[in-house]
Order: sequence, then C-alpha cells, then structure tokens
Amino acid sequence: MSNTLRPYLNAVRQTLTAAMCLENFSSQVAERHNKPEVEVRASKEVLLNPVVISRNDKERVLIETSVNSLRVSIAIKQADEIERILAHKFTRFLTQRAESFVILRRKPIEGYDISFLITNAHTEQMYKHKLVDFIIQFMEEVDKEISEMKLSLNARARIVSESYLSQT
Amino acid sequence: MTFTKMGFAGNNDPSFIQPTVIATRDGGSAGSGAPSVPSKPSFLNSSASSNLASKRGIEDLDFYIGDEAVANSKTYALNYPIRHGQIDNWDHMERYWEQSIFKYLRCEPEDHSFLLTEPPLNPPENRENTAEIMFESFNVQGLYIAVQAVLALAASWTSSKVNEQTLTGTVIDSGDGVTHVIPVAEGYVIGSSIKSVPIAGRDLTSFVQNLLRERGENMIPAEDSLTVAQRIKEQYSYVCPDIVKEFKKYDQEGDKYFKKYEGVHSVTGKPYSVDVGFERFLAPEIFFNPEIASSDYLTPLPEVVDTVVQTSPIDVRRGLYKNIVLSGGSTMFENFGKRLQRDIKRIADTRIKRSEVLSGGKMHATPMEVNVISHKKQRYAVWFGGSLLASTGDFHSYCHTKAEYDEVGPSIARHNRVFGTVG
Amino acid sequence: MILLDYHNRIIEDTLKTRFNPENKPKPVDMSIVDFDGVSYHLSTLDDNDAKLNLSIRWKCWNELVQYGALDVLKREYSRWIIDPEHGYDFTLQFDLNDIGGDPEDVIRRVSLLKRNAMAAPFERAFDAQSLAEQEDHWDPSSSQLMTIHYRDGEAIYVQNQQDRVTVIFSTLFKEETDRVFAKVFLQEFVDARKKPHLQNAPQVIYSHREPPLEIRHVPGLLDSESQGYITFVLFPRNYAAGAVREETISRIQIFRDYLHYHIKCSKAYMHSRMRARVSDFLKVLNRAKPEIQASEKKLASGRTFRRA
Repeated sequence: MSNTLRPYLNAVRQTLTAAMCLENFSSQVAERHNKPEVEVRASKEVLLNPVVISRNDKERVLIETSVNSLRVSIAIKQADEIERILAHKFTRFLTQRAESFVILRRKPIEGYDISFLITNAHTEQMYKHKLVDFIIQFMEEVDKEISEMKLSLNARARIVSESYLSQT
Repeated sequence: MTFTKMGFAGNNDPSFIQPTVIATRDGGSAGSGAPSVPSKPSFLNSSASSNLASKRGIEDLDFYIGDEAVANSKTYALNYPIRHGQIDNWDHMERYWEQSIFKYLRCEPEDHSFLLTEPPLNPPENRENTAEIMFESFNVQGLYIAVQAVLALAASWTSSKVNEQTLTGTVIDSGDGVTHVIPVAEGYVIGSSIKSVPIAGRDLTSFVQNLLRERGENMIPAEDSLTVAQRIKEQYSYVCPDIVKEFKKYDQEGDKYFKKYEGVHSVTGKPYSVDVGFERFLAPEIFFNPEIASSDYLTPLPEVVDTVVQTSPIDVRRGLYKNIVLSGGSTMFENFGKRLQRDIKRIADTRIKRSEVLSGGKMHATPMEVNVISHKKQRYAVWFGGSLLASTGDFHSYCHTKAEYDEVGPSIARHNRVFGTVG
Repeated sequence: MILLDYHNRIIEDTLKTRFNPENKPKPVDMSIVDFDGVSYHLSTLDDNDAKLNLSIRWKCWNELVQYGALDVLKREYSRWIIDPEHGYDFTLQFDLNDIGGDPEDVIRRVSLLKRNAMAAPFERAFDAQSLAEQEDHWDPSSSQLMTIHYRDGEAIYVQNQQDRVTVIFSTLFKEETDRVFAKVFLQEFVDARKKPHLQNAPQVIYSHREPPLEIRHVPGLLDSESQGYITFVLFPRNYAAGAVREETISRIQIFRDYLHYHIKCSKAYMHSRMRARVSDFLKVLNRAKPEIQASEKKLASGRTFRRA
C-alpha cells in the first residue's frame, strides 16, 4: 500500500504549490467587503476548477481555489470501526482548537473529514512552501497517529484483560 | 500548596481535602512558570512494544494524587496542575479528575452531574477544555462551572448575621498562596476591580518561623521548623485590636498570654517544648500592617477592600460594603472579621466626613453600613456554597447536559447561568 | 491504578477518624454514594454523638435478600445490625465507646459492606455447584438463575451448572465510542485464555446486542444497539474455598465498573496524545512564519530606535 503514498503526497504537494497563488481581491458583490471567495462562491469568474486527488476511493484530497483563497479538504483513511471513531475524535479535537491553528476550518466540507482555509492574508504572513510542507506533514502525521492510537488501544486492552483475569 | 475539596452535594463538609498535586513516573513538568509547551510524552517516540510483562502501554495510569502523591514523592515526580488558580496542565488535570472520581469519590460519572469551580478572570477557553474532558472522557450527565467568589457568597447565607440572601458583596478569599478581594454584583464578578494581595497563609507561616528563629527557639529540629510554625500559627494565633496595647498585656499578664507548644522530634522521638509569645498576634497583624514583615508590599488589607469598592460602579458600592464575606483558611483567625470591619468602617466614615466638610456642611450622607460576615463554614466556604447550590431542586436545569454538548459542542460551557436565591 | 478498590474510602476514612480514641465524638451527618447506584448515610444519633449509624440503600436489595444476603451480612456484622433506618435497606450502629472488635478489622470489614451485600448469590451458586458435582443424575432445571438488577438497564445473572458457574453481565454503552472501545477490550478478554499463563483463567464470551442462550428466556431484556453481554464461565479452581473464593467474589462484582473505568481512561489517554500532536503541529506551523527581526533603525539626527 505504501508504494502509492509517495506519488499521492507528491501530487498533492504539486497541486497545492500551484494553487497557492493568492492575492488580495475585494468582493465584487458587496462594496468595501473582502471575503474569501472560495467560501462565498458568488462570482464564478474568480473561482477555479476544483481538483480531487485520490489515492483510493477512501483517501482523497479536494483542492478548491479562488483568486484570494484556497480550501483543502482531506478524507482520512478509516479502514474499520475503530479507525473511524479515532479519526472522528481526532478531527473534532483539532477543530475545537481551530483558532490557534489559524488555517483550520471549524467544519469540514461535506464528504471529507477535515478542511483548511488559506487566504491571501495567510500567504502574506507565512511562507507558502512551508504552508504546503505543513499540510503534507499533517496528512502523514494524522494517518500515523490514528494507527498508533489503535495500536495503543489494543495494548491497553491486553493489559486490562490480563490484569483482571490473572489470579494468584 | 493549593488544595482540592471534593465531596457530595448536600453534605456540610467535603469528603476529601487533598493537595492539588499529581505524582507521575515521567519527569516533572517545567515548573519555572514559563508557558511551557508540554513535553512530548515518551509514547510518541517509542514503537509499540508488546512486552506486556513490564505493563508498557498503560503507564499513564501509574500515578498518585493528593496525599498519596506527597507520600510517594521520593520515587515519583510531583506536578502541580493548577497555577494561580487556573488549570495549566490539562493532561495532569484530566488524570487528577479521573482518580478523584474512580478512586476517592467512587461514582460512575455517567450517573451524576458535576459542579466545578473556577477562579475569577478564568479564560472561556479553559471552560471549554473542562467541558471537553468532562463530557467526552467521563460522559458526565451534567456540568456546571461556578465562580468561586459567588459560591463563597452563597455559603455566607448560613450566617446568623445575614437576613437576606444576596449575590452582591465583596469576597475576601484568603488561602495559602494569595489573597483576593473580589467584588460581586448580582452574581457577576466585577473583573476590573479585583485586587490581589500577596499576603496569605504561607507568608504568615514563614513570619512565625522567622520570629521563632530570631528568638532562639533552637529546640525545633530544622526539618520540622516550617511545619511547627504552621501548627503554632493555626493553634494559637489571633487578631488583636491594637498591637501596642497587646504588647503591654503580655508584659503585665505573661502567664495568661504566653503559651507552650509541645512537639516530638520526628526522627529521635524526643519531646521538646517551644514558647509561643508575641507571634500569636503579630502573624495575622501582617494583613493590617504589612510593613512589620517586609518592605515589598505596604497596603493594609482594609485599604485594599475599600479601594476595590471605590473602583466598582457607584450604584453597587453600598451593597459591597454591606456584605463583605470571608472565605478560606487564612480568614479563620479569631477576631479577624471584627478588626477588618472596624478598620474598613473607619476608612469609609473618614471619607464621608471629608466630603461633608468639603461641601461646606451642606451635604449629609447616610452613614455607610459596613459588615464583615464570619460564619462557621468559612474555611471551605467555596465548597460549601457549591454543595448548597448543587443540592437545590433546579440545579439540574442550570447544568449543561450531555445532550447539549453532543449537539452544540464545548462552547456551551462558556456561559454558566447565575443562580437566583436559594429556596 | 489498574484494578479498582473493593472497599469504600470515605467509609474507611470516616470510621478511622471516629474510632480513634483521641478524637472526641462529634455530630456526623453525611450522604455519600458508591458505584452502581449505592447510597450510604453515615450519621450520629440526634441525642448521642457516640452512636454512629451506617445505612445502605441499593435498588437490588430485595433480590439480594432473596439469594441469602442477610445470612452473609449476619455472619459479618451481627453485632452491629439494627433495624434499617427510614428510607434505607440496612443499617449498622457503632458505639464509639465500645467498638466491639479490633478497630482495624472492623473498619476493613465495614468498608466492604457493598461487596459483602452482593456476595450471597455467588456463594450460593458456588455451593450449589459443589453439591451438584457429587450427584450422578443431576437435573439442570434444579439450578436457580439468580438475577440482580443492580443498575438501570443493566443486570448480573448467576447460575450454576454441574461443573461450572456462569456469570452474565448485561451492560449499556451510552456512546458509540464506548461501544467500539469496549469491543476492543472485550475481544482481548475473550482471547486472554490463549496465553500460557492464563490457561486457567475463567472463560469469557462477549456478544453484542444478542443475549446469550442462558438468559434468552428472561422477560424484559432490552434489545438495543447499545446493549452488550459478557459471560464469565468460572470453574471450581477459580473459586476454590478460602482466599481464592473471596478474591473472586470481590473481583467479579466490580467487572462492569472496571470495564467502563478503563474505557474512560483510554479516552483520557487519547486526549493526552492528541494534545501532544496539536502542540507538534503548531510548532511546525509556526516555522512557516518568518522571523520578526528586532530591527534597529536610525533617524536623521543620529538617534536610533528599535522597532517592536
């Protein structure tokens, strides 16, 4: 399975790098307003075609771009019930702390587990290549963390059951 | 040493009063006060080992809290999850609660509602984090987070001096580390007027320790000197109306005032005795004349209380003077309330007289009623107030419920409705 | 803490303090709880601070009495039993001036009141099994299925066969997360016997939603996604008379609380992992911000100032 991981992440990285060309753009709909166009989706001409990069039918990334903002939505691998619960817990924990994450969206886009919203303001304050690095690293770490949580749960279950059943 | 008081609603006293400390196996947290990024726990680095003989994978359950933590301090590292009244280390706090619920209180949290307290000016994010832990890890039925000062006011309703149950008043909360003066109007803390006084139990104890040392009480073994000073302070100290007159009393009727403390050497077992003298009234006097202990801080407590009231909105000031409520162990000294009331009244009366003079005798203000309320439940006033409120019939309607949490999320905990009067 | 305590700490602490001859009798009135919906009331008499009452109330009390609980309680506490306090099922009274036994032993036994109250059905089943073993033609229908509805929606069933005793727990998982975590834990309980050092451990069977054969006929069983059934099959060596039996009775009783306790501890553990991950992520994210130089600027007059 892991031989598809590198090409998958590379594809995401390249697409993100290309998509992260954001500039300040005032709203064409409401005077003196400046909103992330990818969220508002009011003016068709400032939105670009969304791209979906799939590793398989379960793991995919949706990248939606506009002139001043970019949305990255990730569907995390969830092979079984436990991974589904752990992924849900983890993403909920993260989105609860969205404010400190700055680029994290409080609610994921429909069909995905977690979404980021990057605006021109962010790319002005932070290095673009590092933002891309962060998202790629995030994708890898989330998968790793869920596997590790699952393993640790199994280890705990083993110890809990053995401690209970052993009799002197 | 901050303490946790835990128990069941409706009871008069907490079932457990333990230091808020957790003893863990891994290295202690960075205690320097710098806002530390929590150190990476070892499990993030290690590979999942299946060597279960060493019980790896469940080390997070290898910890002690409270008195047992202190007892195990030689082999475990002590951590204090609460700093300046606020929760600072959530991993430790979550585990502290875990053991409090399952080992000490012994209840299935799914069957109960919980009342927790918070210090004034607690960030709303902290309430959200608390709710996240209580509802997601422990599945509690309901949660209410109360402001400590408001509970202290509720506790004062048991005093015979009080004839109306009000949530307007000035709370003087003095524990071991710090003393706070907190004005509360209709159940809401007036945050901008809160003042902290850096004099509390710890400082009184070390003052007693110094006095004993200076007088040459060298019978006390060095390692016990702090504990002995603390016991002497708790057993023999009181507040006097006037230190000059008090010194005279000791000179004239020494037998009546000097006491003896009997101690036993913790190692050799030999008994010894210590004279207890002027420190009896000098220690608590620090609240009223801080200069006798140190030159760092010089404002007497009555003056701080008066300032707090004067900086509060003008329409609540009478209510704040009328209902000054004491809470915490360091307010338990005999005559503490009386002396405080006398001194505060003097300041208030002086101000009124001055404004009458300045107005050329044309304005006459109603005399200011100043009341300091002492009552039997002062030491654990906050816990007791919580026990009172949580045992009322409509407590459950004030709590945030699991259903609400599941629907909306932790943000529900940001606001906790203020109780009306009891009954 | 891996195993839960069997005794009640508050009772233990309170009795230790009150029994201590150095402490003068003073009025006591406290209501406390224990696991599984047990309520206690510890109080001194209105007119006598030296008489201390301990009362217990438990929803399944009548069932326990049916299965012989009063005999067990008489055996442990006969000296102190008085008529139950109003609103409670059973009351003990202690005279602080004359405790009636070695204080430490009394305290230990009294703090195990809940455990002893629930011991009867197990003792009965163990004894019935030993007798049944002797019979050549043992009639299975003679074995009593004892039901203890000790918690809302949850119950313990105990029954003996000729060569074993079966204990079935029906338990509710209020949250999907709990149910999924429980599956992981219970699978390990089921698999534990495969390990060499646990060959003699009780056999554990877990079923989700579907009640085990032994209790399928029982009326009023809840049929819901959140329902789980855990069966323990105890063999005579698991409850051999003496210390082994006492330990088994103590440990089997707390199974439900033990399981739910560890599910919650696992959730707390997941939280601490996630907190660590979050701080890691934030560190990486902060690297994306360029370093702010504390730059010194010069004015035309030659003075310098620092830009914050």
